[in-house]
Parts: sequence; structure tokens; C-alpha cells
Amino acid sequence: MKKTLGLLACLAAIVGLLAPGVSAQETIKVGIILPLTGAQAAFGEIEKNSFEMALEEINAAGGIKGKKLELIFEDDTGKPEVARSAAEKLINKDKVVMLGGGYGSSETFAIAGVAQQSRMPFLVNTGSADKITEQKWDYVFRLNPPASDYPGGLESFLTEVVKPKTAAILYEDSNFGTSSSQSFEETCERLGIKVLVKEGYSKGGVDFKPLLVKVKQANPDLIYMISYVMDAALLMNQSMELRLMPKLFVGGGAGFTMPEFQKNAGKAANMVFSATLWYQTLPYPGAKEYFDKYVNKHGKETEYHGAEAHAAAVVIADTLKRAKSLSPDDLRQALSETDVKTVFGPVKFTAYEKMTNQNKLPTYLVQWIDGKLELVWPKDVASKPYVFPIDWEKIWK
Amino acid sequence: MEVLIQTLVSGLLIGGIYALIGIGMSLIMGVMKIINLAHGQLMMVAMYITYVLFEALGLDPYFSLFIAMPCLFVLGAVIQKFLLNPLLKVDSILPENQVLMTVGVGMVLTEVIRFIFHSDYKSVKTSYSSSAIYMGEISFNVPMVAAFGLALVLTAALFFFLLKTDLGKSVRATAQNTDAALLMGINAQWITVLTYGLGSALVAAAGTLLLPIYYLFPDIGGPFTLKAFVITMLGGMGSTVGAILGGIVLGIAESLGATYISMMLKDAVAMVIFLLVLIFLPGGLKTLTKV
Amino acid sequence: MKSSLWPFLIVLALIALFPVAVTSEYYRHIFIISLMWVVIGSSWNLLAGYTGQVSFGHAIFFGTGAYTAGLCMTKLGISAWWGMLLGGPISLLVGLVIGWICFRLRGPYFALATIAIGEIFRLVTTDWRSLTEGMEGILIIQTFRSKLPYYYLAFGLAILCTFGIYRVMKSKWGYYFVAIREDQDVAEHIGISAFRYKSLSLMISSFFTGTAGAFYMNYMAFIDPHVVFSLHDISIMAILVAIIGGVGTMWGPAVGAFIMVWLQETFRSAFFGLMPRWVSEAHVLVFGLLVIFVIRYLANGIIGDWPKIKRLWSKDRELSYSSSGN
Repeated sequence: MKKTLGLLACLAAIVGLLAPGVSAQETIKVGIILPLTGAQAAFGEIEKNSFEMALEEINAAGGIKGKKLELIFEDDTGKPEVARSAAEKLINKDKVVMLGGGYGSSETFAIAGVAQQSRMPFLVNTGSADKITEQKWDYVFRLNPPASDYPGGLESFLTEVVKPKTAAILYEDSNFGTSSSQSFEETCERLGIKVLVKEGYSKGGVDFKPLLVKVKQANPDLIYMISYVMDAALLMNQSMELRLMPKLFVGGGAGFTMPEFQKNAGKAANMVFSATLWYQTLPYPGAKEYFDKYVNKHGKETEYHGAEAHAAAVVIADTLKRAKSLSPDDLRQALSETDVKTVFGPVKFTAYEKMTNQNKLPTYLVQWIDGKLELVWPKDVASKPYVFPIDWEKIWK
Repeated sequence: MEVLIQTLVSGLLIGGIYALIGIGMSLIMGVMKIINLAHGQLMMVAMYITYVLFEALGLDPYFSLFIAMPCLFVLGAVIQKFLLNPLLKVDSILPENQVLMTVGVGMVLTEVIRFIFHSDYKSVKTSYSSSAIYMGEISFNVPMVAAFGLALVLTAALFFFLLKTDLGKSVRATAQNTDAALLMGINAQWITVLTYGLGSALVAAAGTLLLPIYYLFPDIGGPFTLKAFVITMLGGMGSTVGAILGGIVLGIAESLGATYISMMLKDAVAMVIFLLVLIFLPGGLKTLTKV
Repeated sequence: MKSSLWPFLIVLALIALFPVAVTSEYYRHIFIISLMWVVIGSSWNLLAGYTGQVSFGHAIFFGTGAYTAGLCMTKLGISAWWGMLLGGPISLLVGLVIGWICFRLRGPYFALATIAIGEIFRLVTTDWRSLTEGMEGILIIQTFRSKLPYYYLAFGLAILCTFGIYRVMKSKWGYYFVAIREDQDVAEHIGISAFRYKSLSLMISSFFTGTAGAFYMNYMAFIDPHVVFSLHDISIMAILVAIIGGVGTMWGPAVGAFIMVWLQETFRSAFFGLMPRWVSEAHVLVFGLLVIFVIRYLANGIIGDWPKIKRLWSKDRELSYSSSGN
């Protein structure tokens, strides 16, 4: 009995090794790499849901010249080496024609390296470190703004309304946090704002008070923080506790726009600004519909990451439709000629500053007002007027 | 000056929680000489129990203490009885098998929790999570003060247990010399089960008290296990007072490191202290006192 | 003597011919990673299994080797392949220093010290951005598009490492290492300088681990402090590879490496796509259960406890009577 079991196990292994991927009818396969498990799983989930929503719409409208589009999702678990393996599996085993996804900057970077080397067109939709499109890799395209563009919407707000003289920059020591902090420091230099404190921290800290009390002593006008959700909530809670009251708190995107931030920071989230890449009331075709459809289907809100994913699916489908064939070069060519409007905004790849194949989009400013995230700047697209100056004593009562 | 005082206060308060995390491990290491690499994961399980009780029954974490601690006691005892004790009898090349068993246990605990609750962050927000008492400009975070107080209470209770009760004395006897203890009629096997259970219960308390001011995810255990080691070594294995002192020293050192060196290196500060203690003061602070 | 060599040579030949028969880059990749772990596991085994110094910080050497190769590219502007030559020696020097600091500590204290140093390396590498690019990591372009050269490089490294360790263990040094493991004080008393031989063992161990790290940089083309200095994914994995295969045996780590890597990938890919998604999510759980099982019942690993396994597997109950009651 045991011998037969052993034999069966070996047979199963051999079958697994030799069996080709099981696919029924003709579909066009595109690989999407996201953090489906691990610490960033919440974002991975929003993106996967959005990809699938868009996929349904695309296939319902006839797919790609009659053939169905198939998205194969791979989990990078938030680690770059796993992302790399996932990319290789999609390219070599599943034989996809394009790659998409890319959430964490380190993971995206690793995937991009593989894609460029294997001549596989890769459309990045979230990974934001500038470096990703600064390598002159012609197979890597990015539809979302790079980290250095995140505070763009904030800039005019600062120069026209706030006019701060000093700032403090706090950032998580990840790829995203570090590169964002560099670019914001450069922005401050340009705007004549003196950076009094610039400090990184390792995520997962329990007590940020040593850091915050240093900031309190420096007394900056503006505090700019780049964190993921839980650190963001703790930072604001502890700032409130220490009665740290600058003219304004601004988050650099990521954690600060998530509903979980508001849930966990509670009162301390109120009146906090954040840079953002998207908001549902922006005049992009289908933006509001996408938002409402997502809320209806999944029972919770979506935000810019979801919009990026939805747009990516649309761009991928559009590229596949326009391409002369499914060969890497034709796809790359078609991708570079993209000029399409999506829920995330218009997508057209250009070269600017040191980047190539980069889509250029404006960014915006949101503010948490009484528990809801509102778009507040630029004024002409605002959903609610901004609140500034802020009376912290009253807000934090 | 205000920066220094606030830093010291923060360090002191978090030191209380650290002490509670460390005291369980100090006990386990002192009695059984086992490096318990599953310590942080046990704390994590207790935190999830607290979370579930909060979400499902609205039970305040301070009350959940009375449920989480016994639960972890049982879990710890079971682990010791069925997985760790049997290893003592096995003849293997390296004595470090017990440590690796705890690695396996830690992994299984983490993954089972991940399966049930997924990896996203959970948290427990109570009305007092962010409240603070102010002395001048210096803030004392209320949950942390409470945790500090409870850490002292539990340490005192453990101290009393070990020094004054028969059972406690048996535990200390087993720690000092297992063979002699056996000869004296102490059921050493049972004592190890009790000790691991007790250590688990203590770290459960730490987790429950930590939850209102932090957050929760399956992988939270690792860094805290490391901290527990530092505290155990710093304070001296098996020393209750040592654990309190160790926790506070670590908390303050980290805070000072964060403020005056850099927030990113504060964990490195802990590791350097750890290394120095290992090399130069192997008995821990306990050797400097008499307790 | 000759007859027992045949199965070993056959296996070697199979591994050498594998990438020719199987052209899927995906499966080649898994083999390459397995071969890399043969090196790391065997190196760890030399220090811990044979010399009795259980290190929980082998990531130190792996990461040092990887960053040596990476820094060749970013700071010296030369190819990362130089790292394959430099990674080993530099890791060896690091090993020397660490031995000097830590060998005064015994058993569990030594283990804890290696954990601490490993973490310090990770944290400092993350913080020292001007040198290491911190968490942005180092990315290079792979020199070869096909995996074949990397495969044979890893294969060669694995053979070199195992053969080297084999020769060392067959020599007088091997005797001294085991003597130190069995009872360091007695060994000292009969004239074996514990410090010197522990250091030698560590130097060899760190040399090969560092070279493996340099290989990793060249092959995976991306590293960052969390990846290469990871306590869990590198240091503990090295220990598990050796334990599962069999500490203190020659082939244990090699067997362990293949089992661990293949098992992980089999589950992570949900049996290569044949099983539903939730199987993939359970892959670390299976790992942990395997560790518990092996340590509980097969404490000497699959190779070390092979007689025990054979006995359980065969229906021949007579054998158990003549066993030594294990």
C-alpha cells in the first residue's frame, strides 16, 4: 500500500511537470502581477477587483477583435524576488503577450528588469519610484505619475494659499517613501521653503513620539508625511497626543487616502490633506460610474489605485486591438502610440525630465473633512472648499 | 529640554510593555534553557483573540485579558507537552532542535491566523486609545500608562509566586538544576509544561495591552521576539526584576536613539545593546543586583 | 566501494543533463535556486552540523557577497561578475571578524549573537543609502538571456562546495571540527585550539555562502537589504534546509535544498496550476508543518534518519526487532 502511494505521488509530480497549461478556447493572455497576499494585500485586492471589472466590460463589448481577453493574476506577496519569479513564470510558462500590474516600487523595478530583458511589453500602473522609467527601457511603460509628480497639485496650493516658510518631511524608508521624500525636498527648494527636519523611519514602529517631539521643537509650518496606512494613522494619533500643531499636515498619497486611515486615526485624521492622483468627481469619462459600480459590487469604496488598475486594463485592451500582430515589437509599437481616455485620465506616453514612456498627468489635493475624503484643489474641480487655516484646538477637542 | 523629557517618558512607558513581553521569555529561558522563537507569534495569537472578542462582543481589551491569558496558557502548555518535551528524549546531533521546533510552531501559528484573518491590518479602537494625561507640555499616553502599571502588577505577582509559593519554588529548583529537582521529587516534565504556559500567558497580557495603541497583522510577532531576547539577556534569564529593568532600559535606549541618532536605526541600537550584553555582561543586569 | 559511487554519479549526470532535456526556463529557475541552496545549506552544515556552532545569521555572509557584487557595478563601474571572485573572500573576512567577536559565546548565546549581528547588517545596509541605495536596491541587467549559463554556474558552484567540504571533513580538520562539536573543553584539553578551528570552519562556510550571494546578485539581478539579509528567508531557511536533509551528514543539505525549494514552489504555484488557489496560500503553512514533523520524528533529517524511514516504509516487520529501538 505504501509503495503504491509513493508511486502515485511520483507520478503526480511527473504529470505536474510535463502537463502544459490547461487552456480551453482561444484567449489572449496578459499577466498581471499584484500583491494578493502580504501586507499590501488590501491594495492588491482593490486593483484585482478593478482589473476584473474592466475585463468584464471589455469582453462584453466583443473582446479583442472577437477573441476573449484573459488576465492571469500572479501574487508577488510584496517581495521583489517573488515578483521576479512571477514575471518569469508568466513569460515562460503561461506565455502571456503582455505584462501589467506592478504595485510596490521594488517589485515593479524587478519585474521591469525581467520584462526589458525578455522583450516583453510591461505596462506599470502603480509602482511610482522615478527610477522605473528613467532607465531608457523601451519595453517598460507607465501610466501613473512618478513619485516626484505626486505633490504637483499641492504646489499651487502652497504658493497661492498657504505660503509656508518651513517644512518637515517624514518618510517610510521604503523605495516609495525614500524617493518621494527626495523629490519633495527638491520641490521645497524650488519654492523657497526651508526643510527643518527630514527623517526616515522603519515601518511598523509603535512609538513615533521621539521623532514627533523633534519636529514639534523645530516648529515647521508644514509637515509632509509619506507612509502607508497604519503608520499614517499612528503618526497622526501621536501628533494629536503631543499637540503638534503646524499650519497643515499633508500626506504624500498611499496610506493617507485609504478609508482605513480615517477609521484608525479617527479624530486625528480630520483636516489632514493628502496628495492624490485621482478622485471620482474628476471630469474623466466613466470616473464616477466606475466609483459607483465598485461601491455597489464590493460594498466598499475604491480610490486611485483601483482607478489605475481599471485604466490599465483599458489601455491593454486598446493596445491589443490596435497592434498589427501579437509579436513583442508590434505590441511595443502599439503601446507607445497609445492615446486613449480612461477613468484615471488621458493616457499618452511621452518623455519628460529623465523619464521615457511615461504618461503625464496632473495631481490633486484632497482633505479629510468630517470623516469624508474631499477633493479640495484645484478649485475648479473641488468637491468641497478646502479648510484652511485650521484651528487644531477646536478640531481635536 | 522638553524633547529630552518627552523622549524619556515615551521610552519609559513603552519599556513597561516591553518588560511584559520579555518576562515570559525570561522565565522560559531561565527554567528550560529554550530559545523560544515562537514568542512573538504567541503574542500575536493573543492579540487576535482580543480583536475577535472586541469585534464580536464589544469586549474591552482590559477585560479580554482574563480570557486571552488563560487561552494562551493552555496553548503554551499543549505546545510544550506534545511538541517540545518529547524532543528532550530524542538523541540528535545538535541540541538546538527545540529552538527549531519553536520556529516551526511560530510559522504554523502565523499561517493559520493568516488563513483565517488574511494579511491586512486590523485594529481595535477604543475611546481611550489616543487619550493622554498632560503634565505641562509632556504627554503621558493613557493606555501605555495602564500597561506599565499592569506590567508592574504582573511582575510583582510572578515574583511573589516564584519566591513564596511551593510551586514557584519548584519552578526555580528545576531552573537551577533539573536532575537535583527530579531527585527531590519534583515532576520536572510537568513544571516545564507549566512554565511554558505561564510564559505564554504573560506575553498574551502584553499583546492585549498593546493592541489599543498599535495594530495587528499576522507577521507582527517577529520583531517582538527579538526585543524579548534583548530584554531577557539584559535583565538576566529567569529574573523578574531583571525583566522590568531590561524592558525599561531597552525602551529608553530606543527612544533616545530615535531622537538623537535616527529613527531608522533605533532597532539597530537594540541589537547593539544586545550584542554588548551578550559579550560583556552575560548574566545580565541581574548580576549587578542580588535578585 | 565503487558500486556505491554509481547512484551518486547517476544523480549528478541527471542534474547536469536536466536543462538540456527540460527547456522551460521556469523549471530551470527552480533547479538553479535549489543548487544555490545546496551551497548555502552545506556551508551552514559545515559550521553547525560538523563543528557544532549553530549560526542563525548566515544571511550576513549571503548579503555581504550579494552586495559585493552589486557594489562592483554601482560604485566601481565594473561588471558584477567580479563579485563572484570578490564575494567569497570578503565574506570570509567578515566571518573572521564575527568569529573573533562571537566565538567566546557558547551554544544558544552564539546563536543569539548571530541573530543580532544579522539584524545589524540589515538595518545598517538599509540606512546607509549613499553606499547601498538603501531600500531602492541594486538592479542590474542580466548578462545572459538564457538560463543555461547560470544553471551550469550554480551547478559548478554546488559541486565545488560539496567536494570542498567533503575533502575538509575527510582531513584532520574534519576530525578537529567534530571533536569541538562533541565537547569543546575536552578538545581544548587534548590540544585542539577551539578558536582556531572554529574560525577555519566559519571562514570556509562564509566563503561559499558569500559566493552564493554574489551569484544571486548576478542571477536575480535585483537585491535590497530586506531580501539578502533576511533572518527568515535566508538565515532560517539555511538551517531548515540542513535540518530537513540531515545535519552533520554530507548529502543531507543537498537533499534538503531540493526538497525545500521544490516543496515551496509546488505549493506556491498550487501544484503548478493543477490545484485551486487556496493551496498556494497554504505554502508556508505546509513548510511549518513539515519542520515540526521532521524535528519531532526525524530529528536527524531525511538522510540522517534514513534507516528509520526505510524501516517505516517496508512491510518487513522483522527488521524492527533487530533495530536499536530508535
